[in-house]
Parts: sequence; C-alpha cells; structure tokens
Amino acid sequence: MAKIEDLKEEAKKLLREGKVKYIIGYGAGTNGWPAAPLFIKKPEDVDKLVWDPTCVHNLVRFLVDEKRRKSRQKQPDKRPVGIIVKGCDSRAIVVLLQEKFIDRNDVYILGVSCEKTGVVDDAKMSKKLAGKKAKTVQVDAQDRFVITTEDGKVEVPAEELLAARCLECKANFPVIYDVLSGEKTKRPLDKPFGSLEKMESLSAGERWSFWREQLDKCIRCYACRSACPMCYCDECVVDSINLAVTADTTADEKARRTRWIQRSAESSENLVYHLVRAIHLAGRCIDCGECERACPLDIPLRLLNKKLEKEAKELFGYEVGFDAALPALVSCFRDEDPQDFIR
Amino acid sequence: MAEDYEPRIVAFLCKWCSSAGSDLAGVSRMEYPPNVVPIQVMCSGSVSPLYVFSAFNKGADGVLVSGCHPGDCHYIKGNYYARRRLNLVKKLLEYVGLEPQRFRMSWVSAAEGTKYTQVIKDFVKDLKPLGPQTKLRRNP
Repeated sequence: MAKIEDLKEEAKKLLREGKVKYIIGYGAGTNGWPAAPLFIKKPEDVDKLVWDPTCVHNLVRFLVDEKRRKSRQKQPDKRPVGIIVKGCDSRAIVVLLQEKFIDRNDVYILGVSCEKTGVVDDAKMSKKLAGKKAKTVQVDAQDRFVITTEDGKVEVPAEELLAARCLECKANFPVIYDVLSGEKTKRPLDKPFGSLEKMESLSAGERWSFWREQLDKCIRCYACRSACPMCYCDECVVDSINLAVTADTTADEKARRTRWIQRSAESSENLVYHLVRAIHLAGRCIDCGECERACPLDIPLRLLNKKLEKEAKELFGYEVGFDAALPALVSCFRDEDPQDFIR
Repeated sequence: MAEDYEPRIVAFLCKWCSSAGSDLAGVSRMEYPPNVVPIQVMCSGSVSPLYVFSAFNKGADGVLVSGCHPGDCHYIKGNYYARRRLNLVKKLLEYVGLEPQRFRMSWVSAAEGTKYTQVIKDFVKDLKPLGPQTKLRRNP
C-alpha cells in the first residue's frame, strides 16, 4: 500500500489555493473500521485523510451526486472536485468520461495505487477474527495484513482477506490521474475471471436453482443501484416512481406509462430487474464490487456483472475502463462480431 | 400434456425485412405453425434487452428477434448493434439457467418467406419438448 503523505501535501495546496471545491477521500470510520467517505473543504482538515486496506468504497459515486447538485444550482461553482481513487475507481471515472457524463475538467484525480495488495473483504475478515472487532488494518513490509484487535495483533497473508474483486483486478493502480501516489506495480494474476469458474462448471439447472435462490432474497431496496457509480440515470426503467413528472404531466400520461416491471419483490420480477441491471452495466461495470457490498442480503451480484465482462472480452475483445476515447461496448460493432447463434 | 402443449413465441420482426418476409409467407399461403405473436419493430437494433426479458416475464415460451442480413439494414448498421447486444442477452439468459433454445435470432430478408416459415417451424419443434417456460414468468 502506498503512503499518501505526498497526496496530503498536494490536497492541502489545492484547497489553500482554491483550485478545487472540495476533496472526496477516506477518513477514519466511526467504528474504527472500515474507513468512511470524507469530504474535506478546509486545508487544515486534510490530516484526517486515511489510506489503508479498509478504504473499500468507490467514491466515484459522489461525482454523480455532485453533477446532480450542480445542475440544480443557479450559479454553480465551476471549480473541479478533488477525489481520491484506487485503480478500480479510476476506471469508473474513465467510463464516466467515455460516456461524457462528466468532463475531465470537472474532476481533479488524486490516484493511489493499491500496489501489491488491495482492500479487505468484510465477510472474510469477520470470519478470520471470529467475533473479535478489528480496530485498524495495516499492511506490513511483506504485504501482509496486520489487524489490530482488542487482544493484540493478527498477521494474515493478504490473499486470505482480499476482496474477491481485488484478486481479479487487472490494474491495481489508477489508469487516469493528476497526481499519483505509489508505484504502478502489477500483482501476478493467473485467473482474471476466477470467481466465475464455479458457476460455469454447473449445469443449466443448477445455475438456475442457484440464481433463483439468490434472487428470491432480493427485497428490491435498490441499494445496488444507489451504490453503483454507473447507475446514474435520472429515470430508471425498473421502477416507475422516479419517472420525470413536470408541471404539465397529466394524470393520463402518468397512467399510460409503460411499467416494464413492477416494484414488487416477486421472484420473477427480481430476476428481470437484475438481468436488466446486468445488461445495462455490460461493458460499463468496472467491477468495484459496490453493489455486492451494499446488498443487505448478500446476493453475489458481482457474478452477474463479471460474467458479462468476460463475455465482452471473449466475444468482442472489449476491456472496460482503460481508454476514455473508445466508444462504449454496445454503441460500436465490428464486421467480424460472432454471429454463429443467428440463423 | 405434451400432446396439447403449444408454445407461444413472441417474435420481434424488423419492419423492413423480416416483417415483410413473414408477410410474403402469408400471401404466398405457405404453411407454418400459428404459435407466433409477431411484433413489428422499426429495426432489430431497436429491440431493447428489456423487450426480451419482459416478453419472458409476461409468459412467452420463446422469443425470436429477426432482422435484415448484415449489410442490408435500412438504417445501415442497426442489425450490427443488435447482433452485439443480443449476443450478450443470450449469454446472460443462459448464464442464469434459461434453456438456450428459448431465445434466438435470425436474419430473414423480405424475399425469404420460406426461410421465415422454416425458422418458426424449427423454433416450435425445439420448444415443444421443453414445455412451458416458468422460470422468468410472472406468477399470475
């Protein structure tokens, strides 16, 4: 894990000179762990920034909120927003730039490299600690996690606690940044789609019972949608209550709107909702794992998105989040795209 | 049960080719199974994945999307987009465990009435042994 002293200096300078509106970073969580998103407006608060393996959040989501807020202001502050990003988060910025949702001048990117480690997985860690509460998680010189609990320190090899997405991360350093802290070291990666292996070895029937069981749990709280930096549509097709209503929308118009799926937590509808979400994220999902982390029912949503990421790679040679100048996956095509499934 | 079961197919047909192809099959009095509910769309590229999921959700046993042959799109490249997007849809449906036979795509031009009847015949033949689609179907 990189040290972020140089980033703090830079952050202080940016705030003092008023080059950025504010900086989004990670601060100490209320409970010790995990780190919590922190918004810094004053240079003297910069020292509250932390960087350790508990910085699990993808802060890019706040850029989406910032854009909304800005569009509602009469005289918006046009200065950029500073943001601290990991490798995966930086790819989310690339996708937002690619889709022209944000402008490069709207954001000042303070990149941190995860170097040889990554972020911890909540579930794996609580299992490891067997009920004890972690106070801090640090990385030692051998890239092992050192967890401080009330009973002392526990040392664990990084691979045991790393989030599944970190084990499959293609670039654990920011691909786009204004300032970078840490080295661009690649971790050896033998299975880029390792988490899918188990699913793909199952038969269709077994896959169906797996997904039905998982998606039956869904309570349609839409936490996955709220946490996702890519789910930024103002109107979401899956729930009809947020469709735009203006002063001249008549009751008739509202009644006539196509309700593709209802908001009921019924198993077939849950499935359709998650399929729609997966398709909408095809070629856009950068695998930050926020949906899965935010899910109160622990539905392995990453497996849906990861599958489409894999298909995009295998069928169309498309890798998401590395080049903002490329067209999006479904808005381009090649003559030689596979069509063996078409009669 | 297997004897009586008639699958219901929802077919999204491109206005410029496949729909005209199905018309040709009709006016030429070619025989094909009456299990299809054709829905004319302006282009196969306009078929949103949501149409497909929604059709299954509302009780379709099979969904067919048919458009112009590559290179023949009225809008120059709509069918290329469709090909890419619906390939992903197909993979995703198979991934969650839907039978791969239930969703298919074909290129049918306005002159290929015979091909259209063949596509439908094959589709119905493949769907019959599978029985009704209950996985994505909304409980009535």
